[in-house]
Amino acid sequence: MLAALGWVSGWCAPAPQAWVPMRWPWQDARSLDLLAGTPINCLLLEAYSPELVAAAEKRGLVTLERIAPGGDTVAAARAALARGVSGIVLEGSFAEGTAAAVRAGAGSRPVVEITARNRLALGSAAPVLGTWQAVWPGIPAQDHGSSRMTGPSGSAWIDTNTGFIRAVRAWGNAAVWLANTPPAGEVVTTERYLQAIADAAISGGRWVVALDRGFATRLAAGDESARVSWRRMGALLDYFERHPEWRAMREAGKLALVQDPAKGGLLSGGILDMIAVKHTPVTPVPPQRLTPESLAGTTVAVDVDAGALTAPEEAVLRDFARSGGTVLTSPTGFKDERPPGDSITLSKAELDRFNDIWRDVNSLVGRQNLGVRLFNVSTMLSNVLASADGKTEIVHLVNYSDYPVENVTVQFLGGYRRATLLSPNGAEKTLRVYAADEGSGVDIDRVAVCATLRLEL
Amino acid sequence: MITRREWIAMMCAAPGAAPLLRGAAAPASPVSIARCASYDEDVTARLAAMFDQLGGLERLARGKTVAIKVNMTGSPGMRVRGKAPALTHYTHPKVLGATAYLMGRAGARRIRFVESAYASAGPLEESMLDAGWNVRQLAAAAPLVEFENTNALGKHKRYARFPVPGSAYMYPAYDLNQALEETDVFVSVAKLKNHATCGVTLSLKNCFGNLPASIYGDDAGRDEPNEKPASGRSLVGHQGTRQPSKSAPPELHFGASHDPGYRVPRIVADLAGARPIHLSVIDGVESVAGGEGPWIGDLRLVQPRVLIAGLNPVSTDAVAAAVMGYNPRAMRGTAPFRACDNTLLLAEAHGAGSADLTRIDVRGLTIAQALYRFES
Repeated sequence: MLAALGWVSGWCAPAPQAWVPMRWPWQDARSLDLLAGTPINCLLLEAYSPELVAAAEKRGLVTLERIAPGGDTVAAARAALARGVSGIVLEGSFAEGTAAAVRAGAGSRPVVEITARNRLALGSAAPVLGTWQAVWPGIPAQDHGSSRMTGPSGSAWIDTNTGFIRAVRAWGNAAVWLANTPPAGEVVTTERYLQAIADAAISGGRWVVALDRGFATRLAAGDESARVSWRRMGALLDYFERHPEWRAMREAGKLALVQDPAKGGLLSGGILDMIAVKHTPVTPVPPQRLTPESLAGTTVAVDVDAGALTAPEEAVLRDFARSGGTVLTSPTGFKDERPPGDSITLSKAELDRFNDIWRDVNSLVGRQNLGVRLFNVSTMLSNVLASADGKTEIVHLVNYSDYPVENVTVQFLGGYRRATLLSPNGAEKTLRVYAADEGSGVDIDRVAVCATLRLEL
Repeated sequence: MITRREWIAMMCAAPGAAPLLRGAAAPASPVSIARCASYDEDVTARLAAMFDQLGGLERLARGKTVAIKVNMTGSPGMRVRGKAPALTHYTHPKVLGATAYLMGRAGARRIRFVESAYASAGPLEESMLDAGWNVRQLAAAAPLVEFENTNALGKHKRYARFPVPGSAYMYPAYDLNQALEETDVFVSVAKLKNHATCGVTLSLKNCFGNLPASIYGDDAGRDEPNEKPASGRSLVGHQGTRQPSKSAPPELHFGASHDPGYRVPRIVADLAGARPIHLSVIDGVESVAGGEGPWIGDLRLVQPRVLIAGLNPVSTDAVAAAVMGYNPRAMRGTAPFRACDNTLLLAEAHGAGSADLTRIDVRGLTIAQALYRFES
């Protein structure tokens, strides 16, 4: 959580919602030259030199010293601020009241908390909600076509944080930071880094860039292949930062999911992700914000935990059904619960429970076009966003395989007549819109890691 | 595995020199082989030349309804090393589109692409889109092109019954999608590849996919078809642990064998008699070796760079197996039929065609010229 802004005089600090964070692995001031061509403007520091902090300030960068639990946190924060950093990041599980004490001591300096998911200050006024708990996005190794596969069924599962980010963002306007680090003991390819960036960004979140030690060493040493990878990462970060309007858009589509972000919404691999992997556009609606307006434009509402709704919330769904909407409620006895302990993924038993709901949703939705339908996207995830005036729709695509995907088809409702494919390399290509069975369609030749389809009336 | 020299000897062998290499009275028919280095080549021109070598398509197709059986085994979402399915285990849409175009040019009245889309009763076009195919191009290949998912009733109101002529191996008759009955010319467009259960997947085995999972699927209805099938055909077809829906004729000797290597080749041979194939086209430009799809471990990407076509499926498959480096008359226990009976010989015994290379007139490339060993 952020205590206050405007702590630095003499230069205009970016607003916290615009911070593009990175765990800075280097100590010397010259390392900041690597930021050229990237939008990164917020450095999370552990070991650093005074020269680094001074140079960062000159460049208009925000520097946050990372403090982990242990020892006198308040004293550590005071010492950090004395060293000239812009503010503090408290990362980990601290004793109750620690953050408040640090904030009190920090005065106008920012204090960001990176917590376990179940300790996020959801619904608060905090401009940044950070968590160190996130899955490393991608297709698990056993789903890549290895000999462990036993039958010709289904698509690959994709580990993603998109459902969690969307649930959190549906209940507030905070910037969502995912501060997980690359998996230890694995070779992290450039594509995997790009997927981590895009996985967070397509849902309006930000991955706190963190390089594995080998990559950081090679990059600092000037290794050309590391520099190429770094430039690609910078370009992808910049791609999303150049379009702040995307973060302001909300999910589009005719399916709404009523679920408490503080319960099942905290999960990765939960019902939102189950729906996402089928590329069904879905709007998460927290019960806390369940109003007739929040269901505008939707025709189907899935109530994940009917027993948990208040009478006014129930009334909203009842009115929705009376006005022609379809309400799908969870199986009898199902309760959407806060994940136990620090877990962020489903246990086998919980997965089976959610599968019951998922089967119902799948059966109800069938092959309907609920806004957008995508084809040949088994290794991809998508997010469909709409502008407030309804004139523009955005379809983000992220490819989680190690290979480009060719020949993607997008069919959409809404009478959009202009379609443009945007790529992180800056290219914009006008696509031919043709009539499809339902609405219209376009064909996309190739998606490497990420692309965005912009539809306009 | 036999050597190139043995192949040449086999090709030249006089009838009677090797009883196993001879099909008795089953008809043989010419088979054409052409080199096609990649799908970027003019596939239509290659196939046109091949069909001309077989006597032309006009007499086969003029004024007729043509069904083209596609090979889209398994979910389109499953990939071999991320590659498009058409470059590995699905027939390539360019081969399909070219075949449809040439059929249309030969005067076919209607072209219908048919396939039992895996675990789905949805439109076949959607499965094709999920495979990355350009359906609009396929639809424009001929004046009237339709698509039918034969995994259930599809666009029809009833199933059609196809009795097995003579003495059936497994079922006396099969209930199939009616599109397969409303067909004057049935074309099997297959992939040149191995099959874990049957040794090879060629134009005969491709037609195992004629079976609707609504009736022959793991989740088929007990009494009536399940019009929302969501599984494969393992229990009924491969394992024989359950009967098809009671609406269809039951297995003749239920419980007699649960060996997929016994059962599937016989079902395929039955189907070759029940729903005869008039033209076989085998896509061997790019493929996989070691199995039929990504769920099989240790698949290898291969580029045989050939197209094979013939008017008799058994003869065509025999030539194709030879091109793969196999003896098409090999018995169980010998590659590629290590753990299964030889589908080609079973179909031959049904009278569907001859697998005897000495009786088959190979046109275009010779087998020796096209030889691409699937096993070293």
